[in-house]
Amino acid sequence: MTLQVLTANRLDTGDVVFWSGQAWVEQFADAERFDAPEPGDAALATAKAQPTLLVDPYLIDLVADGSAPVSFRERIRALGPTDHMELGKQAMGGEAIAAIQHAHGAARSTGRLSLIRRKP
Amino acid sequence: MSLYAYDQIDREMLADRAAEFRGQVARRLSGDLTEDQFKPLRLMNGLYLQLHAYMLRVAIPYGTLDGRQMRALAAIARDYDKGYGHFTTRTNIQFHWVRLKDTPDILDRLAAVDLHAIQTSGNCIRNTTTDPYAGATAEEVDDPRVWSEAIRQWSTFHPEFTYLPRKFKIAVTGSAKDRTAARAHDIGLKIKRSREGELGFEVMVGGGMGRTPYLGPTIREFLPARSLLSYLTAVLRVYNRLGRRDNIYKARIKILVASTGAEEFGRQVEAEWAALDQGSIDLPDLELARIRAAFGVIPFETLPARSEAFEAARAADLALARFARNNLAPHKKPGYTIVNIALKAPGETPGDATSAQMEAVAALAERYGHDDIRVTHAQNLVLPHVKLDDVPAVFAELQRHGLATANLDLISDIIACPGLDYCALANARAIPIAQDIARRFEQPDRAEAIGELKIKISGCINACGHHHVGHIGILGVDKKGEEFYQLSLGGSGAEDASIASILGPALPADQVAPAVEALVDAYLGLKTGEERFLDTYRRLGPAPFKEAVYADAHPA
Amino acid sequence: MPTLIQLKNGQFSETEDRFTLVGPDDLTPASGGVILSLARFEGEGALLDEGRPVGVLLQPDEAVEALAYDLPRIAVVALAFPKFRDGRAYSSAALLRSRLGFTGEIRAVGDVLREQAREMVRCGFDTFIPSDGSSSQEWAAAAHRYRHVYQTAADHRAPAFVERSPSDGL
Repeated sequence: MTLQVLTANRLDTGDVVFWSGQAWVEQFADAERFDAPEPGDAALATAKAQPTLLVDPYLIDLVADGSAPVSFRERIRALGPTDHMELGKQAMGGEAIAAIQHAHGAARSTGRLSLIRRKP
Repeated sequence: MSLYAYDQIDREMLADRAAEFRGQVARRLSGDLTEDQFKPLRLMNGLYLQLHAYMLRVAIPYGTLDGRQMRALAAIARDYDKGYGHFTTRTNIQFHWVRLKDTPDILDRLAAVDLHAIQTSGNCIRNTTTDPYAGATAEEVDDPRVWSEAIRQWSTFHPEFTYLPRKFKIAVTGSAKDRTAARAHDIGLKIKRSREGELGFEVMVGGGMGRTPYLGPTIREFLPARSLLSYLTAVLRVYNRLGRRDNIYKARIKILVASTGAEEFGRQVEAEWAALDQGSIDLPDLELARIRAAFGVIPFETLPARSEAFEAARAADLALARFARNNLAPHKKPGYTIVNIALKAPGETPGDATSAQMEAVAALAERYGHDDIRVTHAQNLVLPHVKLDDVPAVFAELQRHGLATANLDLISDIIACPGLDYCALANARAIPIAQDIARRFEQPDRAEAIGELKIKISGCINACGHHHVGHIGILGVDKKGEEFYQLSLGGSGAEDASIASILGPALPADQVAPAVEALVDAYLGLKTGEERFLDTYRRLGPAPFKEAVYADAHPA
Repeated sequence: MPTLIQLKNGQFSETEDRFTLVGPDDLTPASGGVILSLARFEGEGALLDEGRPVGVLLQPDEAVEALAYDLPRIAVVALAFPKFRDGRAYSSAALLRSRLGFTGEIRAVGDVLREQAREMVRCGFDTFIPSDGSSSQEWAAAAHRYRHVYQTAADHRAPAFVERSPSDGL
């Protein structure tokens, strides 16, 4: 099945977080990849039972190798706004961030648009 | 002094609101309120959960600020956000990175300078917008800020109209030259005088953007000014009772007016108005006079119409000359001018200002501008009362802070919503498209040669970027996970209001700026005389423009 | 039994409900106060002649004007909030008070939260069945949170423009 990751926003700060298997973490790269529905659904149910910690937990689909979310929206959530490359999770840089920035797949099927090419 | 001065009553309203919201946040954090219960409460206070964080939208009533307020916004951006804010098409400001737990403190800081986030979201009456040149332009029949302030008070926590079918936006223009897009509002009000000289309003109802754009028809040619609030009450009551609540896309008043028919809708409003106890709703003349006086009087100096210092400076400095050509507007007083500050430097995010820039504008307003700052629906700022003598100094200071872009109403003065870079509702990004286009037309001589051209970009069908009334409108859509952009031409939000028509199939992101360039080239080849892009399009229709964009496109 | 909060002489208190809300398939009780749907009220208007306290439950799409002739004999008009976001009942209450001169009880039923207490009181509601478990103290605190109002409404509070006028207080 399609790999999945559990994500939410923290209630008190609004920060985007991902479930690592042990804790809610900031970086997409550190999220637990679910390769079967049951553990993902179980983690989602646990997250929904924590309404004073999280807002709107949900599972997202990943590209085949798990290096990036499929949807454009989720890539931007995992990175930060493309008009401020110095802000958000993308600011720390590194390979895992670059993998999301350059990911192929359903979100950019024509390959014509580089996701992040706005700032020199 | 030139801003409506809050009295103790106005201030206690804000203090009570801040205290109420502090309690609501505490109840949410403790779990007493569920997210479902809390969400409409936070929205009613302008607090959204967006892609990366919470976003707080602060009201700037009818787009007027003084330096002290601008400094407070700058400080909030620095202390609670990431050092910048985003001015919106509703003339508000949004902070995109705030924490829920900090918002009660932010509201206290706002209340300390007579600002708030009341009714900046939710299905209620939103911030009234008006002419950014109010009180400064010779064109106006009466100062629309006085009436906007009356509407602010009437609409604040209106008990009957807090849970409307959908959001509700009012604009007031004081002059025939419409800088408010009045006809694109739920209610647009145009101040006029009757043949007998009486002050009043033309009332337009049922305009709006969104999925189905409409220009509001006039339901009353002349409403005596003193009856404004009772008449608004009648419109809102008819809408509150009869507006659709079963479908969010059909809930705006524009759908009610269109389905009822403007004439019949107007008749229902008149009947409701006739039955109202108008005397208990309309402000007494004394209160109207008090509001007018609370704006204060600007001690303009008697100056010659021509400033030798300014003329000499602009003769010597091409950049100042360009700025003066594009960003200054005539003031009603000789020797004064209206200075537009475009938040549209090529490559930057339309409408964004850093804390340092906000503070620079505050300082300029305090030193040279009678402490008066306006926000425009085109996401720019205005210093409405600057002496021509001071323009060179103001310009130099703006240059120092990256605020001297001389492109007002030109092709790179683009309206764009935050789009998918920030907004949870968006389908596609808007900002990078604006940046692409602005860079492509960065060369100022070329931009001036193209002349007035208003590009407006929305990242989804909610149309916060007003693409329906762009000379060139651009709408982002999601095609199987990829960002595509639909071009529309021929819209206008000005006094010659019109809705843009879709040109052809949507384009991928990297072909939008080239398509705009093709449109511009076509226009430059076809224009006659002093025609603007919009005029040429209106004269010739879409065919040559369609040809320019799609002629060599590969068949899908 | 759900809490009924009553506003009387400016005070909020929990009070006993004298009325039975009669559902669409319920039999009308033999005695005591009843609240009927508009359709049943129109069918069973004879109850008014029995001298029993009778009320009518209006849904948001049912116009208060339909009750105009019967209002003097109606004890309570219950206005339904199917969702708290549905604000039509505020106009209904305002019209009952300001245009139809109704002086009886106006009751808020359905999705009734303390966050709406102020709007409800201002529009003329005087009894409330909160769905969020609010006590009368909590309801009172929410209704009275603001020291001022900007508009005239059915609660006859002096709006800001009256507070400001020089003759205020005479």
